[in-house]
Amino acid sequence: MSGKPLSINSFPRAIIHIDGDAFFASCEQSRNPALKGKPVITGSERGIASSLSYEAKARGVRRGMSMMEIKKLCPDAVIIPSDYETYSLLSKRFYEIVRRYTPDVEEYSIDECFADITGLRRPLKMSYEKIAAKIKDDLDKELGFTFSVGLAPNKVLAKLGSKWKKPSGLTTIPGYLIHEFLAEKEAEEIWGIGEQTSAYLKKEGVRTALEFARKSEEWVQSKFTKPTIEIWQELNGKLILQLDCVGRKTYASVQKVKTFTPPSNNLDFIFSQLSKNIENACIKIRRYNLAAKKGVFFLKLQSFRYVGVEVKFSRPTAIPSEVIKIASEQFGKMFDPRQMYRATGVMLMNLEEDKIKQLDLFNEVLRAEELKTLYKSVDEINEKYGKHTVFLGTSFMANEQPQHTKQRADQALRKNVTFKGETARQRIGIPMFMGTVS
Amino acid sequence: MSNYQDKVIRFYKKFKRMPSFREIAEITGLKSTNAVSKLVDKMISLNIVEKDSRGKLIPKNLSGTIRILGTIQAGFPSPAEEELVDTITIDEYLISNKEATYMLKVSGDSMIEAGIQPGDMVLVERNKTPKEGAIVIAEVDNHWTMKYLRKVGGRMVLVPGNKKYPTIVPDEELNIAAVVIGVVRKY
Repeated sequence: MSGKPLSINSFPRAIIHIDGDAFFASCEQSRNPALKGKPVITGSERGIASSLSYEAKARGVRRGMSMMEIKKLCPDAVIIPSDYETYSLLSKRFYEIVRRYTPDVEEYSIDECFADITGLRRPLKMSYEKIAAKIKDDLDKELGFTFSVGLAPNKVLAKLGSKWKKPSGLTTIPGYLIHEFLAEKEAEEIWGIGEQTSAYLKKEGVRTALEFARKSEEWVQSKFTKPTIEIWQELNGKLILQLDCVGRKTYASVQKVKTFTPPSNNLDFIFSQLSKNIENACIKIRRYNLAAKKGVFFLKLQSFRYVGVEVKFSRPTAIPSEVIKIASEQFGKMFDPRQMYRATGVMLMNLEEDKIKQLDLFNEVLRAEELKTLYKSVDEINEKYGKHTVFLGTSFMANEQPQHTKQRADQALRKNVTFKGETARQRIGIPMFMGTVS
Repeated sequence: MSNYQDKVIRFYKKFKRMPSFREIAEITGLKSTNAVSKLVDKMISLNIVEKDSRGKLIPKNLSGTIRILGTIQAGFPSPAEEELVDTITIDEYLISNKEATYMLKVSGDSMIEAGIQPGDMVLVERNKTPKEGAIVIAEVDNHWTMKYLRKVGGRMVLVPGNKKYPTIVPDEELNIAAVVIGVVRKY
């Protein structure tokens, strides 16, 4: 029906893609049996659904829905605040378990990874499918919830495989069967084919992924740019997209945005919010030993519109007090006390390696070096005693008040269950079973 | 030069494997393969790394130079440094499978005779087959419960470590989520 194979090989390379099923909601269900079988929704602190359990999906709840809509649609929904600390701990374990089998793991996102298991059949004495099944089994049993796995000759097809059967699927796509899988998929369902490309493909009469894969190389070359050509090659069984196993080494820009509720027009409060974001952005770029040459400060109005200013710095910096001074000079241009605001943000851009610059006439660079030494100590203190142990006075209000006053109780559960010696800022890095343990 | 070496060593510490030549070029910023292989040769001559039979790098002595024992006194090395090689941290002592270990806070007194008190931190491991008599975390009526796992008349039951509480005989399949591997109490 779908004609001759696109490739005659099985696995010239063996790539797996692993996707946590409803990751955040599953983290919650696996640590608290009271939530099992229930429509669980995380993200109450943001007011919109950020992750849904399969039970919630079955009831028609979708990501991004407001809590109001959800309560109407699904009155028995269990709506809980996100606990990113726990999700991150489990995400790290997820990668570590996969690394037991191969060092070549790309941490694609908090709940997804790619792994290259090419050549491991002999050392592990298992078929590729068996290795994939074994990894899945370890993950399911040790993390307490299910993962979906795709095994294929490359990333695009592995990703198709992990989506094929969810939840808890294991789909193997050897080269000689690619055409049968692609025949059943619309082109737009392929990872990397966006709306624009799929709309164009439709105009050209190409509907399924198989029809696209069967187009001649000349046709594809003449009509598309590199990213789409690469996807076409992968659909034909070649491995073009390499795994990025080194992870992020550096950033081109860093953005920190935080919403607060209720909306406010209190200048001091809003500025302290911006100040805290600047401190956080600076912490992050210092961690990567970077300095910014440009910054954008912005405020989000209650009407969801943004106002912002872009500023070029006279020299690269990662020192918040310097950036905040610039922000305070510009703040008047953005802020209007007759308006209500709901978020502040900063983007630090044109990042470059932070290194000692040529000395100048006015000892400016020397002063900057002193500040750098100072902030090295600040980073060390915060590392030892917890984030924001030392912060700037301008961020005081943002640090003293909860980000969302109405939902004061809307804190991650783990922050309210602590052991002796743990603080609100620092907890033991082991995920915790929740609910009463009798 | 030693800055480049640090980068290679840092890579190893982070990813638990040696970088490929291409990755060395990426992390050090060295542009030519020649420069990379010079760096590698240097690291080999310093005994930091070596090549395996296929020419891939394997770690040799990443902690830097040859280990210096303590200052020689009366002809014997100071034992301190060497003796510490065989010690483990309290984490390593308590935890064997790091990725499968969780903790929980005890709320009741049903295991008081086992010495487990309310408020204690209990370390548990998922995916571990419990032996009879082990303390396990089971799922009963949508709640966690911590009890001894015992066999009575051919079926598995949950026995509390407190005479005030009854033995739990599961109606259906007994769902054991984890096995207790340790209890920690900080004073």
